[in-house]
Amino acid sequence: MTEAWIRGKPVTLAAATGEAARLLGASRMPVIAGLGTDVAGVRAAIALARQVGGAIDHMHAATLLRDLDVMRESGMMTTTPNEARLRADLLLLIGPGLVQAWPELRTRLLATPEGVTRRIVWLCGGSEAETAGTPVEIIGGAPEDLPALLASLRARCAGRPGGNTAQALSALASDLGNVKFGVAVWSAAALDALTVEMLCGLVRDLNATTRFSGLPLAPADNAAAVLQASGWMTGLPPRTGFARGAGEHDPWRFDAVRLVESGEADCAVWISAWSATTPAWKRDVPTVVLAHDDGLRDKAQVTIMVGRPGLDHDAVTYLAATGTLAPLLAAQKSAALSVADALDRIAAQLPAGPPC
Amino acid sequence: MLTRLAGGHVVDPAHGRDGVGDVWISDGRIVAAPQAGKADETHDVAGKMVLAGAIDIHSHIAGHNETMGRLLLPELRQVEHPGHGTPRGAWTTRETGRLYAAMGFTTVIEPAVAPHHALQAHLELADIPIIDKGALTVLGNDDFTLGLLRGKDGAQAMQDYIAWTLATSRGLGVKVVNAGGAEAFKENVRTFSLDDEVPDYGVSSRAIVKALQHGVVALGLPHPLHVHCNNLGVAGNIDTAVATIAAAEGLPLHLAHIQFYAYGKEGPRGFSSAAPRLAEAVNAAKSVTVDVGQVMFGQTVTISSDVLRQFNARNSAKPKKWLIDDGDANGGGIVAYDYSASNFFNAVQWAAGLELFLLITDPWRVFFTTDHPNGAPFTAYPDIFALLMDRNLRAEWLSRLPTEAVAVTTLPSIAREYSWSEIATMTRAAPARLLGLKDRGHLGAGAVADIAVYAPNRDKATMFRNAALVFKDGALVVRDGAIVSEPYGRTLTVTPARDKAIERRMRDYYQERYGLTPDFMTVAERVLGSRYAFEAVPCRN
Repeated sequence: MTEAWIRGKPVTLAAATGEAARLLGASRMPVIAGLGTDVAGVRAAIALARQVGGAIDHMHAATLLRDLDVMRESGMMTTTPNEARLRADLLLLIGPGLVQAWPELRTRLLATPEGVTRRIVWLCGGSEAETAGTPVEIIGGAPEDLPALLASLRARCAGRPGGNTAQALSALASDLGNVKFGVAVWSAAALDALTVEMLCGLVRDLNATTRFSGLPLAPADNAAAVLQASGWMTGLPPRTGFARGAGEHDPWRFDAVRLVESGEADCAVWISAWSATTPAWKRDVPTVVLAHDDGLRDKAQVTIMVGRPGLDHDAVTYLAATGTLAPLLAAQKSAALSVADALDRIAAQLPAGPPC
Repeated sequence: MLTRLAGGHVVDPAHGRDGVGDVWISDGRIVAAPQAGKADETHDVAGKMVLAGAIDIHSHIAGHNETMGRLLLPELRQVEHPGHGTPRGAWTTRETGRLYAAMGFTTVIEPAVAPHHALQAHLELADIPIIDKGALTVLGNDDFTLGLLRGKDGAQAMQDYIAWTLATSRGLGVKVVNAGGAEAFKENVRTFSLDDEVPDYGVSSRAIVKALQHGVVALGLPHPLHVHCNNLGVAGNIDTAVATIAAAEGLPLHLAHIQFYAYGKEGPRGFSSAAPRLAEAVNAAKSVTVDVGQVMFGQTVTISSDVLRQFNARNSAKPKKWLIDDGDANGGGIVAYDYSASNFFNAVQWAAGLELFLLITDPWRVFFTTDHPNGAPFTAYPDIFALLMDRNLRAEWLSRLPTEAVAVTTLPSIAREYSWSEIATMTRAAPARLLGLKDRGHLGAGAVADIAVYAPNRDKATMFRNAALVFKDGALVVRDGAIVSEPYGRTLTVTPARDKAIERRMRDYYQERYGLTPDFMTVAERVLGSRYAFEAVPCRN
């Protein structure tokens, strides 16, 4: 049986979804946030947002949009984890947080498959680089030094004098031109937008004469799949609102934290089917929580326990090893409700009428 | 329920019908006129044109590359609200189904599904309402194909592999995109032609095309190998196109968006339309079919698995943004582009496409496409129909183009106008035959009741943009260009026979090469949602 609560008191699922529908129906501007769910859950969330004229945001949208902004403002070259693993003769690991973003980095990329030889250089990787454990060359120290280091590297590769005159950096700059297929790996969670842009510019420059590509590591909680599903359903990434019918994307306006803290949003749905995450906003707002844990049940108006996609039920999620959407069949199939089921039940109980 | 479309002008080239008559529908199928009995519902379509639903054989409507295109150019998103302009490429999944249906299209084929991204493509197809769909699976730049050819592993292994990949990706046919070119680009090759060899594998592009063509024929796939040739967009690439046509050697071969290969090097700018020569080659090669890939003016975004070509085009991006993805096998290149009527090259491209439509004589072998969204978004189709059916309209358009561009084409000298019957052949009867869809593309008894009715209008583009009535599986979905219901169609697939040993071989291969099982790329029905339905299309043998 699905566990559900209204203001901390156990209720039936029907009562919980009914109360959620009542809150959403009465709301002038609801925001559906978190979005830690599988593809079916995102599809249901977007459908619901359209129905109630609300907005959607993902808990890691800021990271997601940092990479996306570089792409949609300039030019970007990317490759897949498979190609990086099988083809790269140089891996350029950029900044900190790579293993955190992708725990399999060690086995999939740092451990070189048979028949492949490559050089691995880590720029300003901090403690992760120091403990990498394979023959990794470390250039640069603290992560804070990375922007200046990358700028110097790009300048040197372009034959211009750069600020950083370290021998190792000069040598790397001249080596990059002789690489056959280099891959730069980064996690936007740990970088600022200008650094991502600088890095992508370096990769672009190198392709004038050789082959080089980029491997941005996706944020957690299925963010990359949420981006894709949002893209095909709305043409737009998360941080999109449907108050005027058609989707409008604005990374500032539809930031869930800003919407709630400014008081613009008068109701929130928080979805986190894997991790025990809590919303980052400070202001109290009537909230419907769909989560795998009950940590928010005393605070939220409505809490519905949902299953973990790919564990409790079959799902489609982003697979970091391939960079694709992949089936994830339930490993511990249970009767737990999926996010999509819960949202569909709420949508079915919404009062009829405008805006859609 | 028995439905009668009464008194319309019925155009059904598959049955030689071209005159006033009735069409009857029962239980989602077209039926013969009943001996007795009365229709439960009658639509008076007197004075209107009645055709089967149109079939688009090549339109990039779903998949990872398409969605990256959507995300690259959000400013293309002018939404569907009346009075706010025509959508120029946002084509969300929902808009895609609705806009196609409004034009009388009822089946659309996504022509470039990468096997590793197949699940995403089907998830997107699942979200496209009204129309039936299908997908062509891309092979030919993947290590396994190239490895088979390098190892001279034999035709049977290739057939089993093609069959396995189709089953895994739930494809309707096989496409090859710049055979070997994407792999060569990863080895820093910057131009790649039909007889160039892929580094490390020592296999020529021609050998890849031939091996896949033979495999497709031997498996009895209804749709011939669908080829995106080498050297797309390059001046003088007419030679590549003609050589590829010759390489068909009398066996079925489909060449996609050939307008992009109809370029000579004549004239003061070293760029000219070679469409007459290409049309002549197509006319003479009876086993070859082509689609045009017409260019229309305006902003779009080009989306292609031809990564090498897209890389070479990156500096002409308008606005200046692009994504080049060195994927597993092909990958993708997304480059923003704005075709301008005042641009010499774009004007020549526009004219070359129309020359091909008009100079290829057999409407059963030339197909109507813009290579959406590469030549133009599919929403430009109504204007193209109008241009094909009206030489005066063409003259009007030509008068606005740069004269030096017009001078390197023959378009002004062509008087041909497409008849309704030719339009119906090119967009209904012929595509159904090309894809092996026996119960689509015609109005004979037993056909799926996918029907488009148009109200003649002096403005032909308006007529084609807003069908008077559209039926999908016998249900009314469009009235006067407006969607009245939004059912979900089916996705067409083939499942040719294969030796079961291939399963084990592929499992071993994926484990050894990728350290993964092929489960990640297997399109599992159980995760696609209950709304999604496949429909099997039989193979020829």
